[in-house]
Amino acid sequence: MSKKLRYRGRMGQIGLYLGKFMRVFIFQNDWKVLPMGAVIAAVVIFVVGQNLFVTQEGTSTGAFALVCVCIWIGFFNSIQIVCREREIIKHEHRSGLHMSSYIFAHMIFQLIICAAQTGIILLICVVSGVHIPEQGIIFNAGIIDIGVTLLIITYTADLMALMVSCLVHNTTTAMTMMPFLLIFQLVFSGVYFELAGSVMAVTFFTISKWGMISLCSIGQFNSQPMVTLWNTIFKFRNIEYMGRKPLLELIQMTERDGRVQDFLLWSGSYNQNDMYSSDALNVGMTWGIMILLAIVFAIVSIISLESIDKDKR
Amino acid sequence: MGSIVGSLLVSWFLMSVGLWKLSEKMHWKKRWMAWVPGLRYYGLADSLEMQGDGIGCAVLEILYYMSRIFPSNSDDVRQMIVVTLISLVVLVALYVYRIRIFMRVILLFDLKRRWIILWLLSEWITLFILGIGKYQPKEDISFLGGWEAGMTPAQISGVSDAMNSMTASRTGLSVALRERTVSSLGKKQYLLKDIAMNIPNGSMVLLLGGSGAGKTTFMNAVIGYEKANADVFLNGVNVYKHYNLMKYRIGFVPQKNLIRTHDTVFRTINDAAKLRTPYQVKAEDRNKRVREVMDMLGLTPVASGLVTKMSGGQLRRISIAKELVSDPSLFVLDEPDSGLDGVIARELFTRLREIADRGKIVIVITHTPDRVIDLFDKVIVLAKDSGRVGRLAFYGSPDEAKTFFGRDSMEDIVKCVNRQEEGGEGLADTYIEKYALKVGKTETEEDKEGNEEEVSPDE
Repeated sequence: MSKKLRYRGRMGQIGLYLGKFMRVFIFQNDWKVLPMGAVIAAVVIFVVGQNLFVTQEGTSTGAFALVCVCIWIGFFNSIQIVCREREIIKHEHRSGLHMSSYIFAHMIFQLIICAAQTGIILLICVVSGVHIPEQGIIFNAGIIDIGVTLLIITYTADLMALMVSCLVHNTTTAMTMMPFLLIFQLVFSGVYFELAGSVMAVTFFTISKWGMISLCSIGQFNSQPMVTLWNTIFKFRNIEYMGRKPLLELIQMTERDGRVQDFLLWSGSYNQNDMYSSDALNVGMTWGIMILLAIVFAIVSIISLESIDKDKR
Repeated sequence: MGSIVGSLLVSWFLMSVGLWKLSEKMHWKKRWMAWVPGLRYYGLADSLEMQGDGIGCAVLEILYYMSRIFPSNSDDVRQMIVVTLISLVVLVALYVYRIRIFMRVILLFDLKRRWIILWLLSEWITLFILGIGKYQPKEDISFLGGWEAGMTPAQISGVSDAMNSMTASRTGLSVALRERTVSSLGKKQYLLKDIAMNIPNGSMVLLLGGSGAGKTTFMNAVIGYEKANADVFLNGVNVYKHYNLMKYRIGFVPQKNLIRTHDTVFRTINDAAKLRTPYQVKAEDRNKRVREVMDMLGLTPVASGLVTKMSGGQLRRISIAKELVSDPSLFVLDEPDSGLDGVIARELFTRLREIADRGKIVIVITHTPDRVIDLFDKVIVLAKDSGRVGRLAFYGSPDEAKTFFGRDSMEDIVKCVNRQEEGGEGLADTYIEKYALKVGKTETEEDKEGNEEEVSPDE
């Protein structure tokens, strides 16, 4: 009685392809994605980093910019990664490759790359003197919470691009799709642009929304001062009313009493956002939703690649 | 208003008359379509075997007419802009389809390309002139359809009987392909029909046929990748039934080198070995096999080199090594010598001969067979019959093939079965029938005995 032949299973194939991706990363000079991400992050942090996690306005703008940087980096990591070797995968599929193994190997590999990129972004934040909250919400240190958030944002964006790369058949289409995906993430995050009723539902599917909520929550947005009102009053300080300058008087009085910071905090208390509540449940939920999105993207990637044999010659 | 309606009616009438006359010249299946706006270009496309474009054109045309018939409320500027933009996009897409169809008409009538300018200026005048003028299409318009499959296979006597008389062998490769079809827009199209043969182990087989004869389709059907209505047995095991196991015993080298270029040669081959060899094979045996294959194909000196640095010949050998490393029983190569010069190609085929000599079946498609024909044991000749369906025109040794076709070289054989529009002699039907008769006579009852039993893939 002959022994039944068994071939390399899914787990074995994951290891095989992980090694292959590592080698291709080194030989194909894909390591360039690391300094490229660093440069993008440095430029953005140079512009918005000063008031990030300091004032509500700075946190809002800076967090949005950081989220965009992460999404951009994540997209670039994977957008061409599958479609550029689609024919090779098709051939290997007929030689016994399991698509789930292939995608899982990519997921592990991309997690390593995203972790490295997140580390670089965090390093740039620290070096640039970004005021990172000391106390975290999930972990003890704020830097770890922010690091995990940036990693999840980058990774989810990475897997979204991986999904697109699996769905399209060539690199040209993939690169054509990318700007649309980016714009979708920016416009439909529901943060900077007002969206009408039913369109708000779309924001659920944007990484930018959850990333933004997570960063603002960790950054204690609701406890931060708001400077817009003070700046506006300052701008209109010379307006006269019945022969007096009430706004100038208010400014002078507040400064004389040393209560400017109190004023800023007071005005900030009227600008709180329920979505940015700094509690573990809120941050955990945003992480969970982003991870859920990442899982959905991975599943769609596998399903779409399973039908690769139907590609026309 | 009245003059606009009048001119629209006149243009519709003249265009319809032109298309009505054209439909006669082009043998439309549904000539009434010439009179129906929205369906006219479908009729035109259908007769040119461009059904897909015809449907696209019809849908867009209907959409466009709808947008004109139901204009948006002019009070709402935003809505008007959106509708206008959509109409514009539809119109552009519609004209892209129409141009594609009309370009085919120009080719069919052997007209100058400048006709397209006249058509763009006035569609109905152009079609009216073409319809009522003395312009006639070329006699045979089948070439316009490119290499699309046929709808109806040619009726050639004895072919199916000959195929049915053949039975599977317990050793080697047995193919009994009844038909390989695809469905296009609900229509059944034939790619291959009635191909049967038994190839013994240790054979190196040349697969011949003109472009579009179905060589790659046949190969894919044989290796089980694109299943046909067929019975394919490799050493007694049904390839289709046990495809998940049999795919490891079949090596297929495609036309393109499908290799990741930024990896080392050794790792590329070693990874293929890991993927394709059973767990039961020990790591040291697998490594030994990798080294053997690399030695055999002359890749050992470049083992640590990057694939991207390799020459065309070396790339082909890496592609072959990737498949060969799993020691397949059936080894199929689609144009392994493309892009290689004569000396390197000869060297490559000599290696393939060595593989066959180890008891494997090697099937090769090549467009330059004569320089290496001495290395082959068998020749399969596929040809498109008059219904444009791929059929078996010959299977036997190269010398028998030369006698059978009365030609001195393989290239001449391909030429004689190729269609006339391809520069061939158009004798495919003749040889398909002649071969069927030959098979019918030579197949004996003795061959049928003891061949019915199927073997388990684990044996």
